[in-house]
Amino acid sequence: MIARSLLIALCFAFPSVAMAQGAPAAGARGPDWIAIGMFLVIVAVTLVITWRSAGSTRSKAGFYTAGHAITPLQNGLATAGDFLSAAAFLGISALVYANGFDGFIYALGFLTGWPIVLFLMSERMRNLGSYTFADAAAFRLQRTPVRLVAATGSLVVVLFYLIAQLIGAGKVIQLLFGINYIFAVLGVGVLMIFYVIVGGMQATTWVQITKAVLLLCGGTLLALAALWHFDFSLGRLLGAASSIHPKGAAILVPGGLFAEPVSAISLGLALVFGTAGLPHILMRFFTVRDAAAARKSVFYATACIAYFCWIIPVLGFAAAAILMADPSYFNVAASGQFNKIADLIGGPNMASIHLAHAMGGPLLLGFISAVAFATILAVVAGLTLAGASAVSHDIYGQVLAGGKASEARELLVSKISAVAIGVVAVLLAYAFENQNVAFMAGLALSVAASCNFPVLAMAMFWRGTTTRGAVAGGIAGLVASVVLVVLSKTVWVAVLGFPTALFPYDNPALISMPLAFLFVWLFSVTDRSERAAREREAFAAQFIQSEIGTALASERPALAAAAS
Amino acid sequence: MPQLSPDRTRQILADSAFRELVSGRARLRWGLSILTLVMFFGFIALISTAKAALGASFAGSAMPLGFALALLMVTAIVAFTGFYVLRSNARFDALARSVNRELCR
Repeated sequence: MIARSLLIALCFAFPSVAMAQGAPAAGARGPDWIAIGMFLVIVAVTLVITWRSAGSTRSKAGFYTAGHAITPLQNGLATAGDFLSAAAFLGISALVYANGFDGFIYALGFLTGWPIVLFLMSERMRNLGSYTFADAAAFRLQRTPVRLVAATGSLVVVLFYLIAQLIGAGKVIQLLFGINYIFAVLGVGVLMIFYVIVGGMQATTWVQITKAVLLLCGGTLLALAALWHFDFSLGRLLGAASSIHPKGAAILVPGGLFAEPVSAISLGLALVFGTAGLPHILMRFFTVRDAAAARKSVFYATACIAYFCWIIPVLGFAAAAILMADPSYFNVAASGQFNKIADLIGGPNMASIHLAHAMGGPLLLGFISAVAFATILAVVAGLTLAGASAVSHDIYGQVLAGGKASEARELLVSKISAVAIGVVAVLLAYAFENQNVAFMAGLALSVAASCNFPVLAMAMFWRGTTTRGAVAGGIAGLVASVVLVVLSKTVWVAVLGFPTALFPYDNPALISMPLAFLFVWLFSVTDRSERAAREREAFAAQFIQSEIGTALASERPALAAAAS
Repeated sequence: MPQLSPDRTRQILADSAFRELVSGRARLRWGLSILTLVMFFGFIALISTAKAALGASFAGSAMPLGFALALLMVTAIVAFTGFYVLRSNARFDALARSVNRELCR
């Protein structure tokens, strides 16, 4: 009942906000009614999906994992939808627009994380866990401390990632529709809470599938239009971009972002192993039936993301080649001068959006803007659900209630957590309005690579891991990655205003990730307690289940009991 | 609650089909992981050491060599994941099923 009245309220509130504030919209071009219309259609479609999924959220398995009944292809698309955030679509095409080839390497780093997820994580995770990745990490270790560390790591990652997405969403909507930043962030926040508490994983999955299909179609359409402009010759496109770009031919060569080896490797580590530690991605392996289905869905996801890696540079270079020749896309100073990167209306992040207008007028602009918005909605819904399940399943259900909480109570806690996480994220996104989005997302990936990934990998692959080691390693990685980011140039100098950075590199992963592994190892081998001996002993049973888990369905309860 | 007895655990671990499954999958898993990581971090090393060479045009076309390499890597990554999934579907799923049948007897 509450859900229905909320839905009705939303339907009325949203268009009126959009229309009331629509007057000064979209830079110099006036309100984009087509864009607003398409945007409303997408919101309406996702609301219908949520409405239809509402029945599936009454059981724990239904709410967290859509009843483990999503097919591999659907799950692959949803996983790609979870991963291809606004940072990927708008952010990386903007990086290509501003820096050329470097942006492409960034995309390559994101993609390289996927085979690692497939080879090392997906199948074992599915065989060992059922709701959150902490299930697999705590399989043979002590429940309370390991789950607390895993859930804290998840929550930190989810919050940083959410703030980054919400800031991005606020900026996009502010530019496109002229809505105030706070209303834009609030609107996205209300929608994401609604999807999660009413529709659970079922609705979240279908919102992600819808978004992934829209994004792939929209990206293809835009890339084809751009390539058509250059007679389908990639060489001509690159030539045109380098002849008009202020950095000239340098955009075709790797440059600043990856020039210095230590920073480059550190960034590479965060990009590659961060993916394998993102809680909302790891959670997607539990929505399918078994390990074989988890494996297939990672393949579909990788194929979609790889395809996107081909499209993104085309969009970025085409935006440079086409937009930089046309002053109407820039904030031109009175003297007639403008900076071809910084003065792009709405900032370089809007490069693909402006390219859509240049290629297909208001109609394509409306479509691509709506796609960008759907992209953000799907990612924030997935993140909120991952955060809520970390609180309700790991902290409340397993730690506070000792695994004895009733399903109904645990579901109630997770819905309350979803609201709380949404509110906190909206408040933080409001407070950090002018924070750099890429930095927030980078911080989330660094924490994921330094806390979640080492704990999970060591617990699953190394016999010697004990509870003491996993907890020490997780805390070391979490603290080191956050502290080093605060001491780096991006925060210490740019935000806090100190003259020089105490930590010379932007990305902490090169230090914090090995540190986490070292701590897991050190505090495990020195652990001589009886409990540690039992945990090493239990590795054999965990190993058997992680290898043939679902094939041994008949012996499952026995195996789980052996491990606890 | 019934426990998986230490004897039973030892029995499964010693089973020849189980060992074949585990060692075969471990070879594929670690081999492909190392290949992927060497490829990506090798490319990053190449950038910091041989930047100029990557800017040279590739086989007479307008496309720089680094660009062609990056596109090739995207393709290779999809090929690796595809290979892993095909191998697993064809070989390891069947092995896991046969281990299961044997153990349930």
